[in-house]
Amino acid sequence: MDAMAQAALWFWLPVALIPLGTWISLSSKGSMQRRMGQALALFGFTGVVLSPWTVPESPSVAAGHLLGFLVGPAALLLAGLYLVAFSGNVAVGKLPKSDRRLGVMAFIIGFVWFVGMHWWNLTPSLDGEVNRYWLVFWPTFLLLLTCLCSGAALSLRIIGDRRTKESNVLWFVSGFTFSLIVLAMTIDGSAVDAGSFRYHLWLAGADLLGTAAGFAIAILVFGGVIMLHERSLEEPPSVHPPTSKEFEHVAAIVSANLGGEESE
Amino acid sequence: MILAFLLPLFSLLAIDLSLGGSVGAGADSLPRFANALLTAYTLGSLVLLGNLFFYADSRQRPLAPLFGMLAAAAMGLLTSVILLDNTDMLMENNGSIRAQIMYNIVHMLVSAGAIILAFGLALGLTFATITAQKARKTSFEEE
Repeated sequence: MDAMAQAALWFWLPVALIPLGTWISLSSKGSMQRRMGQALALFGFTGVVLSPWTVPESPSVAAGHLLGFLVGPAALLLAGLYLVAFSGNVAVGKLPKSDRRLGVMAFIIGFVWFVGMHWWNLTPSLDGEVNRYWLVFWPTFLLLLTCLCSGAALSLRIIGDRRTKESNVLWFVSGFTFSLIVLAMTIDGSAVDAGSFRYHLWLAGADLLGTAAGFAIAILVFGGVIMLHERSLEEPPSVHPPTSKEFEHVAAIVSANLGGEESE
Repeated sequence: MILAFLLPLFSLLAIDLSLGGSVGAGADSLPRFANALLTAYTLGSLVLLGNLFFYADSRQRPLAPLFGMLAAAAMGLLTSVILLDNTDMLMENNGSIRAQIMYNIVHMLVSAGAIILAFGLALGLTFATITAQKARKTSFEEE
């Protein structure tokens, strides 16, 4: 089997199984099909994470290698937020108060883990070099997170009613992430120096801008295609107005269902 | 609100310029922007094509919009191939057109992962800060 076919079988097929499995599990009504979709997605995910061992010669497997590194801290961050959010004042699915502390702890460990991947020796490295996709992921994540938190903080203040406290928390997170970026721009990490981070930060900026523009154009084209198709359809045949006999029939049904005793 | 979203970006730009940087990547940002745009457009069109296919039940699955979206996605791919083949403008340290296209797709998947995680955290944090506050009581005055 040549290298291309091996990469297709051991990397690209598992990659394709993740969205396919997710789609099946989300759109199916039967529990059996849903479980099958989840199993497919999990199978694909495992295949991608294992790709550095199954097809080590393919350059694309660096993404699988990075995914393996990110699963731990990302899961801790999201699980921590879930525990914190649902142990608060929620109407449904409320968790016990003790989960709040656990959530905060998980969130902090997750964030420290991520920070350790830049400044400590946890940096994802493949064949003795920093994983090239880590230099894509880390600046993109930090840049977008600080911008989103800043936008969300002001939105809460403008749209929300008496949300100053919540807005301040988001300003703090945005400011904290911003200071992490500034620190990475000025102080060398364990494997990524400040100059390299600055270089990749602006590539991440260009990347985000390009991605947003590309998706926006795709959505516009999608809308255009639907509009052109709907315009080309013939007018549906209009029905005749109701006759007086039909009106009488409707009136009889309505009057039969009106009335009753008033409840106190 | 858009300004609040862009404020950290402009601040970082100012800091980078004051540190004596020439906005980091400089000329390399343009191929990255163009590659990201074309890849996001092509992959986005394919996702929307799938959406059109599976959610068109109410219209008895017409073929015309499907072909329209397929043509739109193919145009994105074709534009990428033509630009990569005829100019060096979009090439980024990759040996061949095929390698560059594969790199673009994997790069987009990694960027999408970072974007999804950042969105998840920002939304989760907003929700968590709101639910962390004490329940409010709304009192209605009797007329």
